[in-house]
Amino acid sequence: MSVELATTIGTLRLANPILTASGTFGYGLDLEDLCPPERLGAIVTKGLSPMPREGNPTPRIVETAAGMINAIGLQNIGVETFCRNVLPELRRRGAVVVVNVFGERLEAYEDVIRRCEAEEGIAAYELNVSCPNVTAGGIEFGHDPRQLERLTGRCRAGTRRSLWVKLSPNAPDLVATARAAVSAGADALSLINTVRAMAVDAIRRRPVLATGCGGLSGPAIKPIALRMVWEVHRALPAVPLVGIGGVETGRDAVEFLLAGASAVQVGTAIFRDPQAPLRIVRELERFCIEQRISSVAALVGGLQWP
Amino acid sequence: MIPRRDVRARLASRHELSPTCFALELSSATPFEAVPGQFGMLACGCDLDPFLRRPFSFAGVRAHDTGTTIEIIVKEVGKGSRALRHLAPGNELSLLAPLGKGFSLEPSGGAPWALVAGGIGLPPVLFAAEVLARRGVTFDVFVGASTADELLLVERCGAAASAGGGEAVLTTDDGSRGERGLVTAALARRLAAGRRYGKVLGCGPTLMLAALTQLAREERVEAEISLEEPMACGVGVCLGCVVESAAGRRVATCREGPVFRVAELAERWWA
Repeated sequence: MSVELATTIGTLRLANPILTASGTFGYGLDLEDLCPPERLGAIVTKGLSPMPREGNPTPRIVETAAGMINAIGLQNIGVETFCRNVLPELRRRGAVVVVNVFGERLEAYEDVIRRCEAEEGIAAYELNVSCPNVTAGGIEFGHDPRQLERLTGRCRAGTRRSLWVKLSPNAPDLVATARAAVSAGADALSLINTVRAMAVDAIRRRPVLATGCGGLSGPAIKPIALRMVWEVHRALPAVPLVGIGGVETGRDAVEFLLAGASAVQVGTAIFRDPQAPLRIVRELERFCIEQRISSVAALVGGLQWP
Repeated sequence: MIPRRDVRARLASRHELSPTCFALELSSATPFEAVPGQFGMLACGCDLDPFLRRPFSFAGVRAHDTGTTIEIIVKEVGKGSRALRHLAPGNELSLLAPLGKGFSLEPSGGAPWALVAGGIGLPPVLFAAEVLARRGVTFDVFVGASTADELLLVERCGAAASAGGGEAVLTTDDGSRGERGLVTAALARRLAAGRRYGKVLGCGPTLMLAALTQLAREERVEAEISLEEPMACGVGVCLGCVVESAAGRRVATCREGPVFRVAELAERWWA
């Protein structure tokens, strides 16, 4: 029995539904010897800003139960270096590239997209809206539906490529932010970003991370992510979703597809096993064979609510 | 560069080295090579506990008829190292290796080298010593620990120093064995007495490496140090393990290091 692994995110067709999550796979080539990017549905780059950034002081990461907290602070090489030094090789290899975009002001998002528009070989943009908006008093773009609608609209005006918005689980009203992004022209939503969290050093009586708080990722957040994907899918059934949060196995990926995601991103699992995305593709295929499912697309939204 | 891969390694043996440290011999059926100072990310537990792999520098890599023996030294500090202490020989472990940049061990001619290790920083220094001896480089070995109990592999360090045509200098903080005080102070005394070194290699606690860096700068001798930073991935993508470079960039210890020439690092790192 052969299984059709292809999926679509709006108008974008992907050979399989397994992607890498931003910030866990470098810029697509960093782990190419262990996990060739062209064998995945797509790769999502580390978040790119107009200029390079050095990120936060250390400690920036801490292990927790079934996960970890990070506060890297969006360190990245900048969009120019990516377009010059990385993208040509990704293109040559035939990888499907999603550029993750962020900025501290609205114009920065536009700048990154404008620079990328000059290049071939980018399939979609994913907006990281968990970045504090310095012009709006440091509130994250993704926490206020009105801010998010404005940001998404301005980015929409700058490209005809697929536009995804990556939703934050920390927003006061998830469905309201989802609606705002879609009404401003987002083609798809990816969710969830990391969950705001803290680790405490009991001896030193201080937070472990230099910044105090950070974002929790890994299997610890999978149940939260599944619930949120399901909620957004139920509210906006026509909107393509990309599920993110603690995917470690093919079976985890199936759970997200059933909850309404058309594809999933593998993130922190890559830190444990750089070959995890490829393994998950194989496991997903095997699951479908065992369950006599001929196409993964048939799983999307297939959850039977009790 | 030696290609990195996920090596299936069987735990062949474990032996205690001190009240807190033990050595593990891992056996790989396939050939494996590493440069001293390079490391591997070892999956220590089962399932999700502990969640992340742990980085270990190699204390030695030996090829033999049926594969390769990879030696690491573990200090019990938390979950991962505790799991390794209780793992029964025969179990298979996943080791992503070799990773990072090791020591530059090209013979430089001229003055002998100083190889300096503090505490659990010994493994890459010992591995380097054994390789340098085979390459005909002469060197002294300095090994420091808090107490006599915590001095690791003393005989092997002595043998390595002999093979390197130099002396093995032991130090303990409490004076219970060897010279009393810091291992870097022992090195400073040799320098003050007129001994000249062509190159310094070091691994150990951050304060020790800072002192070593300062000595190397004062003496204008080339030095390479192996750093330890908390890391999730070991392959340069999580960016948890960054240190500040001389150029003011935050560079990943796992990929640009763990061995750095001291001139590559920002003064802020060691001052």
